Amino acid sequence: MGKILKLAFILAVFCIISAGSLAFVYMFTQPKIDLNRKIAYDLSVKEVLPQPGKAVSVSPRGYSGPINMLVGVDRLGKLIGIMILNQTETPGLGANVSRPIFLNQFIGKTDKDPIEPKIDIDAITGATISSRAVCSGVKQALEKAREAK
Amino acid sequence: MSLLKDFNQGIIAENPVLRLMIGLCPVLAVSNNATNALGMSAAVAFVLICSNWVVAMIRKITPDEIRIPIFIIVISTFVTISDYVMQAFTPELHHALGVFVPLIVVNCIILGRAEAFAYRNPVLNSILDGIGMSMGFALALVSIGVIREVLGAGSVFGIALFNPAVAATVMILPPGAFITIGILMAFLNKMENKVQ
Repeated sequence: MGKILKLAFILAVFCIISAGSLAFVYMFTQPKIDLNRKIAYDLSVKEVLPQPGKAVSVSPRGYSGPINMLVGVDRLGKLIGIMILNQTETPGLGANVSRPIFLNQFIGKTDKDPIEPKIDIDAITGATISSRAVCSGVKQALEKAREAK
Repeated sequence: MSLLKDFNQGIIAENPVLRLMIGLCPVLAVSNNATNALGMSAAVAFVLICSNWVVAMIRKITPDEIRIPIFIIVISTFVTISDYVMQAFTPELHHALGVFVPLIVVNCIILGRAEAFAYRNPVLNSILDGIGMSMGFALALVSIGVIREVLGAGSVFGIALFNPAVAATVMILPPGAFITIGILMAFLNKMENKVQ
């Protein structure tokens, strides 16, 4: 019994030291981390909104996880900017959805356009699911922007 | 003499990835380009050197029965510190490495060195072992990263070398990692046979 208590005590001491040093590091880095997140978000909003309008964030389900994207829509409901914030698609295939050559096809679309691969969008070779996911995300974002008006 | 040996055995003779074959999970996952490989190596080096140092320092007051939980506490503390520091000062790198930073906790190189070396050796030797092992890990990871990025994406450290359309995409997918590691291991074995 005494042995178990002694071991538990030693382990607790290590945990306290560890927690204390983490709290110390957290205190110093947290303000900087929050600032970085805010700067990164503001930058992306600026990038998808070259003109006044509304930035909508959507996360359609891709091939291997959600594709977090930010879509800029102007006041007439036209898409004026799009960027992929986060994705876990296959490198070299699905991950190519974040390339401008694919994303620029969406510029100027409204919710009256079909926004479908093979109709008005060229999908990425070998990445049908990822391409379709981005299309459905764009559709969702355009609808959201219209409803918000 | 033994200090020097502790330092350089990790680089080639006991290279953690290519000879001991431990810590392969992050090696497979983040070696698809050279930049990620270098960033991961730096994070692992920080954690490995610090945890070897602390484990060697506390080895006399660590009871045998609970040494593994204590190692894990030490290691996860340093991993969390490096996670915070990367988020604060190199957010782009943190973004690229994503989930693999927290996973350094379960990287068997680090726990393996704590148990097999730092727990049984003085502080200075353990720090040198940590530096040597980190260099061996970085050497393996960056070589694999460069080979895979050149063959699979036609670039190195993000600088385009040739048209990516003619690159072999399989090299930046998981099979490319296995193929590259296998070939490097074979190469190292061949070299060793020649030396003997």
